Amino acid sequence: MTAPSTHTAKPATGIVALLKSAFINALIALVLFSLMVGIRTEAGHDGQLTYWTRFGELASLVAIVFGGSIVIELFRQWIGPTGAEKLVPPAVRNGMSFLGRYLAPALLIFTLLVPVIFYNQRYILDLAILVLTYVMLGWGLNVVVGLAGLLDLGYVAFYAVGAYSYGLLATNFGWSFWICLPLAGILAAFWGVLLGFPVLRLRGDYLAIVTLAFGEIIRLVIINWQDLTGGPNGVSGIPRPSFFGIPLDNSDDGLAAKLGIEYSATHRIVFLFYLILALALLTNWVTIRLRRLPIGRAWEALREDEVACRALGINTTTTKLTAFATGAMFGGFAGAFFATRQGFISPESFTFQESALVLAIVVLGGMGSQLGVALAALAMIGGFELFRSLEGYRMLVFGMAMVLIMIWRPRGLIGHRAPTVYLTKAKAISSDLVKEGHG
Amino acid sequence: MTAPTPLLAIRSLRAAYGKIEALKGVDVEINAGEIVALIGANGAGKSTLMMTIFGKPRARSGQILYEGRDITDVPTHEIAHLRIAQSPEGRRIFPRMSVAENLQMGADATECTDAERDATLQRVFTLFPRLKERYAQRGGTLSGGEQQMLAIGRALMSRPRLLLLDEPSLGLAPLIARQIFDAIRTLNRQDGLTVLIVEQNANHALKLAHRGYVMVNGLITLAGTGAELLQRPEIRAAYLEGGRHG
Repeated sequence: MTAPSTHTAKPATGIVALLKSAFINALIALVLFSLMVGIRTEAGHDGQLTYWTRFGELASLVAIVFGGSIVIELFRQWIGPTGAEKLVPPAVRNGMSFLGRYLAPALLIFTLLVPVIFYNQRYILDLAILVLTYVMLGWGLNVVVGLAGLLDLGYVAFYAVGAYSYGLLATNFGWSFWICLPLAGILAAFWGVLLGFPVLRLRGDYLAIVTLAFGEIIRLVIINWQDLTGGPNGVSGIPRPSFFGIPLDNSDDGLAAKLGIEYSATHRIVFLFYLILALALLTNWVTIRLRRLPIGRAWEALREDEVACRALGINTTTTKLTAFATGAMFGGFAGAFFATRQGFISPESFTFQESALVLAIVVLGGMGSQLGVALAALAMIGGFELFRSLEGYRMLVFGMAMVLIMIWRPRGLIGHRAPTVYLTKAKAISSDLVKEGHG
Repeated sequence: MTAPTPLLAIRSLRAAYGKIEALKGVDVEINAGEIVALIGANGAGKSTLMMTIFGKPRARSGQILYEGRDITDVPTHEIAHLRIAQSPEGRRIFPRMSVAENLQMGADATECTDAERDATLQRVFTLFPRLKERYAQRGGTLSGGEQQMLAIGRALMSRPRLLLLDEPSLGLAPLIARQIFDAIRTLNRQDGLTVLIVEQNANHALKLAHRGYVMVNGLITLAGTGAELLQRPEIRAAYLEGGRHG
């Protein structure tokens, strides 16, 4: 990329090839559509065939195919899997690398400011809370699927365990959210280990089937254990979270009264927003820290090659169990948050569709990439809302978008994996070491 | 040549995959400071022997003694803590992790100080300068020879006393294979590392090794010094003259 000639010479042939393929596509479209669109036939008054030409429509269709194939090809060459030759102009490439460096901090700052910017738009705040919940679930599942490579189709089970832990402890014993939150995490982690034991020997498809069944078992137990869980009626009247003991309501003890400001229902929403943001960031921070520790490296090595792991002295049993437990714990935290936000939980909230959605977020985001998962959660949940007007076609659009992303970005939106080990000191390599060996 | 207690002694070891018996009573001794080559045709049980030392598959009967201690039933993941390291067949590096991380994985399992780790790392870089050049690269992007260097380097990072190498020259160009063999010889001479090497490339392996064993159908049929075995007419006929490398 240093020599200027590469900029001028190579794209020229690329553009010719581009136009050529677009021209061929347009020609095929012309042949196909000339009869299908170009000539319109109808039965006339006396049953005879009448026809007339529609060259205008034909021309516009062919033009769309021509332009579209150029756009698609450019799109593929710019952001697609690394091809032999890239047409990306340097300006665009620089822009993209700039974007890559500052996207995460910019997103974080924007997220912190969301309640300030959209203070009066309840809908957007609710949507943001929902997105953040899925970001957290995605990051939690990312530990299991993205790092340890254990395909878990029953992640919603831990979400449910967390939600019911908080719901039941709070309604039966009146325990506060801040006591129940770690308990919900611990209980979910316990169930994670419980799931982990039977699946230790399983891999790939078999593992997926068992975890899928586990998710269903938890849901069915919740439905049928009516004495404890209320069955299909769910648990209602779950207490709202308090600001470390100070309730966020209209009473005289409320936070608004104590601060001497006017009460608004939005205060609670904003508090919930920052609560889930803090929980999600905690998940992210813990994951990033763990990746740099031997246990995190062991998870990733386990994903790559289990046999090699054992030969290197890694206890694969504890490694898998800790991955399940850690992922489940974050699912449990998210579940407790879900319960306190909704105030009501029922088994309907914990169907397989939730597991599939969270898994889709992780896969779409790029397995193991924290930023990718966050972007995918935003795209999936936000996009879902965006296409609400399309109603029946929503799932169709969605499915198509996912297929396209998997074609162009098979490793997910962000397939890049940041290394975790660096040389302690940049030592100069003496030349006698380097000159040997050309294999 | 025979020390009082061999570093590794394998006594009438039997192992099987289901009903198929792969090892039918194998006796092998490896003394400290030796390079021992295990040669034989495909399916003779060479790799199985190496895997059985690591407990996968478990031995049906017989004993594996390491420094006189019975390690036949020690869990696989604890074998590495005994300072036995393995460079498995097919290299089995971690392709999506960087060279640095691959090497660190070797050091993670054993308790060592940062200084020891860095010293070992420098030793690996001296042996395989290519790895230093490729330090930040993903393991999967290395060439076959570099991957083999990485697999050996990763095994060395656990600072082993006994190194098990399974087919280190498999699929490598002769020049690269020679580099690998040279590195093994250096490790043995300079660091006093004991090596058990499984090879199809009998010529190279026997020239490198102090002693060799020939394995046929799960049994040791011949044993002797490397030079002796190279002279045996049946070895020459079976593994050298008709083989891939004359």
